[in-house]
Amino acid sequence: MFLGIDLGSRSVKVVLMDGEGNLQRQKFDTMEFYRKYGEKEEDRLVIDVSVLAVPPAGAVTATGYGRQAVGVKGARAIPEVMAHVKGAVYLTGLKDFTLLDLGGQDSKVALVRGGRVVDFTANDKCAASTGRYLENMAAALNISLEELGSHRRDPAELTSTCAVFGESELIGKIVEGCSIPSLAAGVNYSIFKRILPMLNRLPSAVIVFTGGVAYNRSLREIIGEETGARLVVPEGPEYAGAVGCCVDAAGIL
Amino acid sequence: MPKVGITTTVPVEVIYAAGWVPVDLNNLFITDENPQSLVEEAELAGYPRNLCAWIKGIYSIALKNRDIRTIIAVTQGDCSNTHALMETLQLAGVEIVPFAFPYDRDSDLLRLQMEKMMSYFGVSWKQVGEAKERLDRVRSRVWELDRLTWAENRVGGWENHLYQVCCSDFNGDPERFAAEVDEILKERRSAPARKEELRLGYIGVPPIVGELYQYLEERGARVVYNEVQRQFTMPFETPDLVEQYRLYTYPYGIFFRLEDICREAARRRLDGIIHYAQSFCFRQIEDLIIRQKLGLPVLTLEGDKPSRLDARTRMRLDVFLDMLR
Repeated sequence: MFLGIDLGSRSVKVVLMDGEGNLQRQKFDTMEFYRKYGEKEEDRLVIDVSVLAVPPAGAVTATGYGRQAVGVKGARAIPEVMAHVKGAVYLTGLKDFTLLDLGGQDSKVALVRGGRVVDFTANDKCAASTGRYLENMAAALNISLEELGSHRRDPAELTSTCAVFGESELIGKIVEGCSIPSLAAGVNYSIFKRILPMLNRLPSAVIVFTGGVAYNRSLREIIGEETGARLVVPEGPEYAGAVGCCVDAAGIL
Repeated sequence: MPKVGITTTVPVEVIYAAGWVPVDLNNLFITDENPQSLVEEAELAGYPRNLCAWIKGIYSIALKNRDIRTIIAVTQGDCSNTHALMETLQLAGVEIVPFAFPYDRDSDLLRLQMEKMMSYFGVSWKQVGEAKERLDRVRSRVWELDRLTWAENRVGGWENHLYQVCCSDFNGDPERFAAEVDEILKERRSAPARKEELRLGYIGVPPIVGELYQYLEERGARVVYNEVQRQFTMPFETPDLVEQYRLYTYPYGIFFRLEDICREAARRRLDGIIHYAQSFCFRQIEDLIIRQKLGLPVLTLEGDKPSRLDARTRMRLDVFLDMLR
C-alpha cells in the first residue's frame, strides 16, 4: 500500500495504491483539510495522515505547493513537477510528451523524454492561467465551471493582464451587450493565450493535460486544434500528482 | 573624505584617485536591516509597484543617507529606470553626475566619458593609473578566491558572490577589504575540498534573494560561477584602463556577455545555468537569446522583492537539480 498526497493550493488530493496498482482517490478542500487534520507544531503545520479514513500505507509520499511549509508526519516529500510527470507517465503509458498541468494557482509545462523531465517552465507573478481564474470568471458571469467550459465560439477579446481586472473587464463587456457564451469563450481563449508561449518553448507531438483545469472541454479542444498536437487527458487529471507520489514510492518508474 | 554614491559599477579608479569614497547604493540597500521597507517607502513616494525593486531601494537608501550628496548615475549600460531615479533624487537636492557606457564598446566614446568624469573629480590619467594599480592588488586576491571556488572546490557560492560583488566599491576601504579577503583565503586554502556536487553557473544581475546559494548547497549543488559579480572584479589582464572597461561585459550587449559566459561555462565544467532576471527588467527579454545560444540546461528565475525564497522558486530549483542529475 502506498499513500500519495498532493497538497494543492485549492484542494488536497489523496491517492492510495495497492500492490496490484488499484487506485483509491479522495479530494479535500485545502483550507478544510488543514483545519481538520493539521496540528501546529512550533512554527509549522503538521499533518497526521493516520487520522485519514484510509487503511495504513507502507509509504507516505507528499508533494505540492504545501510540501515545503507543511509537514506530513512520516512522509517523504518529492518535487511537484516530478510527481506530476511520473503520474502522467504511469496513467498514460507515454514516455515522450509535453506535460501541461493547470492547477488551482499554478500552470506548469514540462518537456518529458524517455519518461524523464528534461526541461520545464511555470507561471510567475500571475495566476490568470489557472483554475482559480476560471472559478472567479465563472462566478463573475454567474455560470457553472461546466457551463464556462462548454463555449468556444465567437470569443470576446479580453486583454487584462491581471486576473482580477479580468473580472472588471467582463462586467464592462456585459454592459456593452456581449453575450455570455461569447464571454465564456473569451475566458477560455485568454487562458490558452497565456499558456501558449510555454507550450511553444517546450513542444512535442503529444500534450498530456493534467490538473483540474483539464476538465474544461473547450480549452482542451482549443489547445488541440491550435497547436496541432495530440491531446491526452488521463482519467482523474487532477490526481496525477498524488498518483505520481505513489508511483515514486513503489519504484515503478 | 566625501562620499559618492554609484548606481552600478563605474570606473571607480577615478573616485579613489580623487580621494573620494565610493558607495555602491545597491549594496547599501540590500544590506540594510529592512530592505523591504525601503522598497515600500519608494512606493509611498509614488514609485510604481510594477517596477524594479533595486531602483526603489536605491532611491530610498540614497535619501536615508544624507551624507551622500553626489551620485554617479549610469545612464547607459545598466537600466533606463536610472534616468527617472536621477531626476527624483535631483528633486531632493542630490547632485547627479551622469556616466554612459557606449553600447557598441567604442573606445573613443568610452575614453571621453571617463575623461569627463576625471575632470569632474579633478584628477589626471597618471593619478587614475596609480589608483588602478592599487585596486588591482586588491582585485587579484578576489580573483584567487574565485579560482579556489571553481578550480579547487574550497569556496561556496555565497562567499564567491559576496566578495566579488563588493569589488564595485571595495566597501569604501580597499586595504581593509583586502585584509578581510586575505583572512578568508587563508581559511579556505586549508579547508578540505568539497565532494562531488552539481556545478552551477549563475548569470544575470546579482540576486535580490541571497538565500539562493545556501539553498542550493543544502541540496548538493554549488554555484561555481557568478557571471556579473565576477565582472565587477575586472578579471582582465590589461594595463589600459579604457580597455579594462571595454572588456568588462555587463554594460554591453548580450552577445558579448555570452562569449564570456560560454568560455567560463566550459572552463568551469558547469552542469547547468541559473539565469536570474529581476521582475519588470528588460533583461527578461534576453532570456530567449540565452536559451537559444547556451548549450546547457537553463533555469530562469525571477526575483521581485527582497524576501525569502518563495515556495514556488524552491520547487523549481528542486526540479532543476533533479533534472540535472
